[in-house]
Amino acid sequence: MASPVEQFKLKPLVPLEIGGVDLSFTQSSLWMVIAVAVATVFLTAAMRGRSLVPGRWQSMAELSYEFVANMLRENVGSEGRKYFPFVFSLFMFILTANLLGMIPGAYTSTSQIIVTFAMAFVVFIGVTVIGLARHGLHFFSLFFPTGAPVYMAPILVPIEIISYFVRPISLSVRLFANMMAGHTMLKVFGSFVVALGIFGVAPMVLIVALMGLEILVAFLQAYVFTILTCLYLNDAINLH
Amino acid sequence: MTRITAWAKVLGVGVGIGVATATPVLVTPALASSEVGLPQLDFSTYPTQVFWLVVSFAILYLLMSQVAIPRISEVLEGRQERIANDLDKASKLRDESEQVRAEYEKALTAARGEAHEQLRQAAEKMATETADEEAKAGATVATKVNEAEARIEQARSEALTNVRSVAGEVAGDAVRKLIGVDVSEGDLDKAVGQAMEGQA
Repeated sequence: MASPVEQFKLKPLVPLEIGGVDLSFTQSSLWMVIAVAVATVFLTAAMRGRSLVPGRWQSMAELSYEFVANMLRENVGSEGRKYFPFVFSLFMFILTANLLGMIPGAYTSTSQIIVTFAMAFVVFIGVTVIGLARHGLHFFSLFFPTGAPVYMAPILVPIEIISYFVRPISLSVRLFANMMAGHTMLKVFGSFVVALGIFGVAPMVLIVALMGLEILVAFLQAYVFTILTCLYLNDAINLH
Repeated sequence: MTRITAWAKVLGVGVGIGVATATPVLVTPALASSEVGLPQLDFSTYPTQVFWLVVSFAILYLLMSQVAIPRISEVLEGRQERIANDLDKASKLRDESEQVRAEYEKALTAARGEAHEQLRQAAEKMATETADEEAKAGATVATKVNEAEARIEQARSEALTNVRSVAGEVAGDAVRKLIGVDVSEGDLDKAVGQAMEGQA
């Protein structure tokens, strides 16, 4: 009987090695590519009609667009418009990857810490570069909250610095841990269904409920990742 | 490297504990059998994962920024424009209808005034006509009355003349019978005239 975390093991589908580095195309890579394809097909095919009065699919595509656009506008303001393609791609990528992972037998690419960390790291570096480019050294005033008494600086500044540098970790671990925990839990209850035979109906019912919960989590975590990206972007663009 | 594997063990054990409390019998042996804790902490898989993430995300970014986003924003902007146009047109039409209504009202007021004027004129005309008729009728009646009065006057004077001659004759006869004197007609007439004047 396999461990419930066995499912996260990567299997190379197309072995590939470049310059001594293993770049095999794994099932995780496959599902990332599928996520890209699904997101693109969903958004372009739904908009093919370009109807004035949208149908079901077009409404959904427009809804995702306006959802992210509103998030960016409310949290960053008009300055954030430039970064909309990136934030929108990020949201669609995470959401699609999370939701595709809910298909039995599919691989959830976002349950890999390195994947979520790479995305969070890009956000972190990007936000820091944008902040430095816009405000120069004044950007470091971010580490001292305005209005706080000066004598608090020795305590506040280290805390702010630590919390700033912890951002990519908290951002990536939140998504990764949620995805991994959900799938591990489903696997555990799934093994109960197999082990209990006829009485497996009880954990089966639980799994159905958990699936619903996990679909909610898939949306929620994509939203959380995106909104935190927006907030970090706001910090960099407008300081506090 | 040793520190990294130590982390991996800690995390693996952490998950193991979480799972173990839920499924003490079923899972613990299975977990013990797996060599590494979490497959996610297998560092040898990181290059390929980051590589394929970068590739797929770059493709997605290109597709989104070049195809999907322009397409959606085009539709949304088109709709916005269309709505704005429609609202514009509606307000223009409303203004127009308002204008037409004002004109209609003006025409109505004018027509009403004219009708009023005509009515007044008609009434005036009728009044003058009636007055004319009345005056004409009055004049006719007056001439008739005058004629009648003249006739009556004539008849009276004739009657009076007759009375005078009759009175003269009677008086002459009476004098002749009483005193046997013939009085001349002229005296008689004078006497009667005096008596009538005295009486009158």
